[in-house]
Amino acid sequence: MEFASRVENGHSVVSLSGRLDAVTSPVCEQKFRELVGGGALGIVVDFENLEYISSAGLRALLLLAKLLKEKGGKVCLAGAKQNVRSVLEMSGFTNIFQIRDTVAEALTSVG
Amino acid sequence: MISIEDLSKHFGDLVVLKDITTEIRKGEVVSIIGPSGTGKSTLLRCLNLLETPTGGKILIDGFNLTDKKTDAPKMRQRMNMVFQSFNLFNHLSVLENLTLGPIKLKGLKKADAEAKSMELLRLVGLAEKAHSFPDELSGGQKQRVAIARCLAMEPEIILFDEPTSALDPTMVREVLSVIRRLAKDGMTMAIVTHEMDFARDVSNRVFYMDEGIIYEEGPPEQIFDNPQKERTRAFINRIRSYSCRIASRDYDLYDMNAGIETFCEKQIVPRKTRDNLLLLVEELLQVFGPQLGKIKVDLTISHLEKQDAVEVVVESTGEEGNPLETAALDDDLSLMLIRNLTASQNYRREGERNRLEFQLKS
Repeated sequence: MEFASRVENGHSVVSLSGRLDAVTSPVCEQKFRELVGGGALGIVVDFENLEYISSAGLRALLLLAKLLKEKGGKVCLAGAKQNVRSVLEMSGFTNIFQIRDTVAEALTSVG
Repeated sequence: MISIEDLSKHFGDLVVLKDITTEIRKGEVVSIIGPSGTGKSTLLRCLNLLETPTGGKILIDGFNLTDKKTDAPKMRQRMNMVFQSFNLFNHLSVLENLTLGPIKLKGLKKADAEAKSMELLRLVGLAEKAHSFPDELSGGQKQRVAIARCLAMEPEIILFDEPTSALDPTMVREVLSVIRRLAKDGMTMAIVTHEMDFARDVSNRVFYMDEGIIYEEGPPEQIFDNPQKERTRAFINRIRSYSCRIASRDYDLYDMNAGIETFCEKQIVPRKTRDNLLLLVEELLQVFGPQLGKIKVDLTISHLEKQDAVEVVVESTGEEGNPLETAALDDDLSLMLIRNLTASQNYRREGERNRLEFQLKS
């Protein structure tokens, strides 16, 4: 899994690629903590290059949402491929998280 | 056509074939399957007299091939062999590889041998490679040339000794399709193979060999779907399933994933099913995670070909109870995914173990 973050329109865009699973999610959780600890309040998580997500990855997203909520911030997910989207649907995350097709749309949502 | 009576082969004290008695009828395609080192290739090599049998008889249309009075080279021309390692002459062109035997052994004129060979190269889709050398060909092309060379001798029977074992998966299909075409044309063939789908598809009969004997023989439906004998059943189950044991929390998820992916590739499991299977396995391990180290978990994945379904069985040691209900989890995400990924879930206690059976949604 690769974790890359950049700032776009004043918000943080986190691009995840590869696999977000039991092995890689602890690293992702740590990076989320650092990002929110550094003051990011609007975060878009770009899934365009994410190939796989398991419950361990979903827990990392829940952690991010929790950290942001404590600070009054917002998160929006973008660009999920069919297999990742289907895991988000199975787990009910489509009802909990804002999900958009593109990063541009997601940036509008967190703005 | 071929009768084998009490055929045996010993290498010193090692008994490789034990009193094999069977027959292969004209036009029949017989696949020979079984674990490595059980005498499959030796049986073929004995039939072609590349190995001298220690005992017994091989009769072709009543002529005893093992009798010293029989003209063995002439009889052998009726039964040609294709090898795993192609055995082409690298210093000769493809066309020369094909014409050598007919000119030298059958006395054909060069022009006739070449015309016939071109016809055969067209049959295996390689006419344009007639003047290439074997080193310029891919593995699959080399094996197709080897098959054409074998046909050039106009054999009545072809023996194939693991014809696709040395090939990349991408090249296996092209060779198997040539063999399928020969089967359709009524060629009598005995094929030692590890390609089980092919064996099921192309054969009239399957020999399952184990420990130097034909342990079970029957139509492919019997051998693959309803084997009658214990060792056949165990072999068929083994090739249709992937198993692993997880005994520690430090299990190697990626090594396990690689094993599952290879299994799915061999079983031609669709990509979406494979993705769901990988997810299901990871979620099951999340459920067992806190207990790992104290308990052992055995995972078996099977492809149920008839139903085109994938079954996952998880057996675990430890106290009686459905692990999905007794697991100490912080949330129910894993359980939710397991429920959504599976069409059925069954729990039972079997001896000292908890057994969970799942059928993946297709």
